[in-house]
Amino acid sequence: MVRKRIGWRWAAALAALGLVAVAAVAGAAWARGGHAQAVTLVDGTTDSVTNIDPANEYDFGTFTLDLLIYQGLYGFPHGAKLEPVLATKCVPKGTNATWFCTLKRNIKFSDGSPFTSADVKWTFDRVIKIKGDQGIYALLSNLKSTTTNGTYGVTFHLKSPQSTWPFILATSAGFIVPKSLYPADKIRDNSQSQMGTGPYELVKYTPGQQAVFKANPNYSGPKPKNDNLIINYYSKSSTMKLALQRGEIDMAFRDFTPTELQSLGKASGIKVHTGPGVVIRYMVFNPTRAPTNNIAVRKAIAYLMPRQTIATRVYHGFVQPLYSMVPAGLPGHTDAFATQYGRTPSVAKAKAVLQKAGVTTPVPIDIWWTPSHYGDASADEYAEIQRALNGSGLFKVTLKSAEWAQYSAQPGKRYNAFQLGWFPDYPDAEDYIVPFYQPDNFMANGYNSKAMNTLIKREYAAPTTPRRLAVIKAAQALAAKEVPIIPYWQQKMIAVSRNNVKGLNQTLDAAFQMRFWLLSK
Amino acid sequence: MAAAAQGTSLKSYLLTRLALVVPMVLILLTFVFLLMRVAPGDPISASLGGHVPQSVIIDIKHRLGFDQPLWRQYIEYLGDIARGNFGRTITDQRPISDIILVNGAATLELTFFAMIVAVVVGVIVGLVAGRFRDTPWDVGGRLFGIVIYAMPVFFIGLMAQLFFGSYLGWLPTSGRASPITQATLVTHTNIYTIDAIIDGNWSALKDVVLHLILPAVTLGLVTAGVFIRLIRVNVIRTLKDDHIEAARARGIAERDVVYRHAFKNALVPVITVVGLSLALLLGGAVLTETTFNWPGIGHELVLYLENRDYNAVQGIVVVFGLVVVFVSLLIDIVNAFIDPRIRY
Repeated sequence: MVRKRIGWRWAAALAALGLVAVAAVAGAAWARGGHAQAVTLVDGTTDSVTNIDPANEYDFGTFTLDLLIYQGLYGFPHGAKLEPVLATKCVPKGTNATWFCTLKRNIKFSDGSPFTSADVKWTFDRVIKIKGDQGIYALLSNLKSTTTNGTYGVTFHLKSPQSTWPFILATSAGFIVPKSLYPADKIRDNSQSQMGTGPYELVKYTPGQQAVFKANPNYSGPKPKNDNLIINYYSKSSTMKLALQRGEIDMAFRDFTPTELQSLGKASGIKVHTGPGVVIRYMVFNPTRAPTNNIAVRKAIAYLMPRQTIATRVYHGFVQPLYSMVPAGLPGHTDAFATQYGRTPSVAKAKAVLQKAGVTTPVPIDIWWTPSHYGDASADEYAEIQRALNGSGLFKVTLKSAEWAQYSAQPGKRYNAFQLGWFPDYPDAEDYIVPFYQPDNFMANGYNSKAMNTLIKREYAAPTTPRRLAVIKAAQALAAKEVPIIPYWQQKMIAVSRNNVKGLNQTLDAAFQMRFWLLSK
Repeated sequence: MAAAAQGTSLKSYLLTRLALVVPMVLILLTFVFLLMRVAPGDPISASLGGHVPQSVIIDIKHRLGFDQPLWRQYIEYLGDIARGNFGRTITDQRPISDIILVNGAATLELTFFAMIVAVVVGVIVGLVAGRFRDTPWDVGGRLFGIVIYAMPVFFIGLMAQLFFGSYLGWLPTSGRASPITQATLVTHTNIYTIDAIIDGNWSALKDVVLHLILPAVTLGLVTAGVFIRLIRVNVIRTLKDDHIEAARARGIAERDVVYRHAFKNALVPVITVVGLSLALLLGGAVLTETTFNWPGIGHELVLYLENRDYNAVQGIVVVFGLVVVFVSLLIDIVNAFIDPRIRY
């Protein structure tokens, strides 16, 4: 018995010694490895990744990742202005239904293989053939075929004229992949290697956790200002905030709540960077069902919309009031709603428009919003709208909410008035007009205006940019007059970093793209 | 004769228990399948709604077979499961088997260390409370047990993050490792502590262990609440048993009576509870993983559930169910072997 007890003591002592040894070795190794972080930029995000293969990528989180690996014929490498990237130029032939592009020479994929017109044709053909579940192929719905003209020439044959075709080439549907690696008829799996001509190579991807990049040695542009980049994925912004404050990550791009941003703005060692943004929020009406089928009701709500209150009280200034579907800062923007309804709410004008239409007040109306897609501030946002409308005495608002999975299934067919937000496929006014006001729009709200349909057709086929922007302005004025949608804020582009991160001011613009290769620390 | 009779009954008991696994799993599969379909919303609208034309959404639903009659979808689903094919997630085309292996390993690591915390805390506090019944030790132990059991796991986690991570700055607050460690760590088993040891990467091991502390302690403490109550009651009951009285009557020192006779017997039922606590632990892991951004299978379940990803949710819940079913079975078998009083 005594021997047994002594044995236990020996074992305990050895275990303790072992632990001390492990801790000592670990501590020493930790100290040795302490310098690795100096060359690596670590970003945090609450965005998620779907398919890295651009043939099935149609969300912002994956786009941010893809932008590091791939390039398109066009893009926004230096700011909000569309520029040729892998092309030297693309020009329409005759009408805007045929576009001819000449490609840059001496461009290489990250494995050193050359980029040619065959890769371009392969890329566009496979997006259309695969028809991925994420729906990115819808952006190429106007593309009839792609043909090559020698090694460095490509022609896009469209079904109908489209003056904004180069913008489509800048979307992820136009990110060029090498013919040698990507299959023609199926998506390349996330677990497989990915290859493009972009500034980085993806060296490791752990779903839902981390994407690790290193600078692409064959990149044709200036060398990235950081050698390695890590994007860490968080499911909650509160956890990401703690990680940033503790220095576990160097910066965070998307998405903190307004309260967290306000708190981080006061934290020492941390900077909140803001720039022009193109994300918008709006309220949609179904103009075919009571009470929103009455234009007077829609106009009265437009007169009462508390934009400034929402921007200040709910979003602490991280959004700005928006008076058109086209955000301020994009060419063609006009403050159409401000012109039509004023910049500040007017109960008197709302009352007058309802009285003139013979509408009995207060008008009972259900307004829907979702708590699970547009951030925690949505509840406060809609509480402010309810307060403003009920406070006027003209409406009796009942707020209703549903989870996004339920809410998103054709909301326009089920709700009279409801919240939605928009992130553009490409930063052009067209992408804020056509998807919303065309007859079979994605919201399914039943809006169908002959005048608007004509404007949309004219916009698509406009031969010059000035003429196109003139149509865009007319469409905004008509949209404000018919009010199937009320836009109310646009968000700034926001990134939060520790003080040692430099270069963020070069990437916060209306293109809304995080160009990590410009950042250093 | 008696031994032979017991052997036969044990064998039939085990066979019965094994046979019962099949209908249990089938009920679980059916329940999860129906629940996902009955819940409002669908994965395609959740993923594409709000930016893609309805015609595209309808086209994709058709191609994925979501517009087929429910019975046909159900039969196809059962057929796939029977072939061991859990399929791929709808959201990111990830093989379900990959989630089970990679994220399951993270959950396994967390629950293993949480169980150690639960057993250590539960046993120590329970024994002390039972031994010193109706003293301040007992009151303190009971109170501690009730409070940690009653407190929501995310609340304990959040408080721990704020105090030890943010205020004191001692411990990392999220993830399985710091970003650079995770980027450089070579994964063999996806259990980071083991991977770091295999590679002899001690700095990674230190980092991984530091990241484990808060989530494992949080999850472990909640489970410890159950153990504390159970062990305390067992100790009190055992101390009144005849064999303890007999030991005292034989003049054995009180210390030996308590520590070598009473405590040993009091701990036997814990084996059963440890097994049964697995379900509690897995349920708690979902919340703990979400709180600490721990990329376990529960963390993934929440994300996929939000997107109504039928394939992912079905796959993960079935794996959860299978684990609980088989661990319960295992515990029953162990109990049957170690406790001769059990008859079937």
